[in-house]
Amino acid sequence: MLDYSFLSQAVIEGDWNKATQLTTAALDSGASPQHIITHGLQTAMSVVGEKYSSGEYFLPDMLMAARAVDSAIEMLEPLLSDTGVPTLGKVVLGTVKGDIHDIGKNIVAMFLKGVGFEVFDLGVDVSDEKFVEAAQKIKPDILGLSALLTTTMPSIGSVIKALDADGLRSDVKVIVGGAAVTQGYANLVGADAYAHDGGEAARVCKELIRNKVVI
Amino acid sequence: MAMTHKQKILAAARGERLDKLPFGARIDLWYNYNSAHDSLPEKYKGWNQVDILRDLGAGVQYRHLPVVKEEYQDMEVSEKSDPPYVTTEFRTPLGSVYKKVLFNPYEGPWQGYDVEKLFKSEKDYPIIKYVLEHTIPVSDFEEYRKVSDQVGEDGIVRTGGASPAQYIMRDIMGYELFFYELMDHPTKVEELLELVKDLERKKYEIAVKLDLEIIQVCENWSDDVHTPVFKKYFTPWFQEITDLLHAHGKLAIAHLDGENKRLIPLFLDTHIDVAEAWTPAPMTLVTTAELRKAWGDRVTIWGGVPATLFEPTYSDEEFDDYVINLFKEIAPGYNFIVGLGDNLPFDGKIERVRRIVELIDKYGTLPINF
Repeated sequence: MLDYSFLSQAVIEGDWNKATQLTTAALDSGASPQHIITHGLQTAMSVVGEKYSSGEYFLPDMLMAARAVDSAIEMLEPLLSDTGVPTLGKVVLGTVKGDIHDIGKNIVAMFLKGVGFEVFDLGVDVSDEKFVEAAQKIKPDILGLSALLTTTMPSIGSVIKALDADGLRSDVKVIVGGAAVTQGYANLVGADAYAHDGGEAARVCKELIRNKVVI
Repeated sequence: MAMTHKQKILAAARGERLDKLPFGARIDLWYNYNSAHDSLPEKYKGWNQVDILRDLGAGVQYRHLPVVKEEYQDMEVSEKSDPPYVTTEFRTPLGSVYKKVLFNPYEGPWQGYDVEKLFKSEKDYPIIKYVLEHTIPVSDFEEYRKVSDQVGEDGIVRTGGASPAQYIMRDIMGYELFFYELMDHPTKVEELLELVKDLERKKYEIAVKLDLEIIQVCENWSDDVHTPVFKKYFTPWFQEITDLLHAHGKLAIAHLDGENKRLIPLFLDTHIDVAEAWTPAPMTLVTTAELRKAWGDRVTIWGGVPATLFEPTYSDEEFDDYVINLFKEIAPGYNFIVGLGDNLPFDGKIERVRRIVELIDKYGTLPINF
């Protein structure tokens, strides 16, 4: 197997120019796109996530790393048309109805994409019906609900109830977060998990997928 | 003679010893939303928010009002309203830039969110620099004075602004693009920063001549600001401006309502006097006890009761327990102004503001030692 450590290092340092150059070099050396993603890019993002959680890295470091991964993936994606990008699972994300804040949700999306999830971002001010529709059509492994405001938090509970009413609740794990949301609130509304920030969301989502497979 | 709310808040901000905890509450989110939706409690229909706070016995912490406005030279500035959006365009000899703001119908027409920032790509640097160089700050004290007269001795009306780096990060470029640009074009970002600093200095030169006791030097302070960037671009600015305010006998305040675990140790280097809108766990990762331990009595903390505690999901008993525990955490209680982190939510229980007053009467005598 090729040595992907330089590519990983470029991602960890957030150097997107170097990351694209090394991705090209890896392809020229005969590496498969899947291998480059799994062993070069996703490995690096796991390191970035750990560095963020430990306090060594900051949010902008994460942004830079995610941008480096995006640049490399952009090159690799056309070559993956047959098999697609290898993913850990599908995550549908959105900010709940009445809430138009998106920075936190976008950061979570970046973390999740970075560690290898396929992310479907429904945007902001997403109605219960749209979440249910996405759960039916996309069949995600995980549904991520975000609310910044104390007043929009109740919409998290109503989405979970809507999933229940449509018989979809057992098919999907629900993770919640946002400035006003706490672990206590997540328990109260019957979510499967809570994450305080993007790094934690990536770790928790991986755990949810692992548990889902075991079950 | 008993001290007024304003005197008590300012005394605590200056680090003076009081005999009881001061309290300044912000309820404008709750008030504006419920006024607009005709859902104020029956008793308060037709009241203004200052009188509601008076009725509750709390000090007033009035929403931020500017004291300086901007005028533009040698360019055309137009504003187009297409509800719920408002687009502002700056047409200069070097080209045009525009920003688009959404006024959220859920929160009320006063609450704007940028959906398109002024800066969109590298080609916008010279245009935005031109806009900054041709922006003239002028005193605009009337509205502030009017509200300040209305509040009187019952509280404080906030004014001031963001720091220059934060202004670029938040208002001109947006968070993500700011950091990409800082990595890709650091010199251009720094040139922009110097121009914003020049403009802000002129605004502070106007503000220090006005009849203000306390001026805000930073908006929505949180870990998103990024520690290395904070050290390089924020701290020196805060030192410069806070020293200017102190030289004019004024206090500096920062709006600290986000996640602050990483930035807390750096606050002491800024010379800022008051950390306002302090929002502890469970809304953030840091407790007030941890903050107190980190800062001692070197900074006055204003806040401590997170917005979420006012939600009906928390029982009255849980609310009381939280507030009483907060008093224990801040013991002996000096350099502390009880407040909300950062506002009463739309569906928050207004009577809990009165409850804080009652709990201060019962447990808030200084020094706290229960």
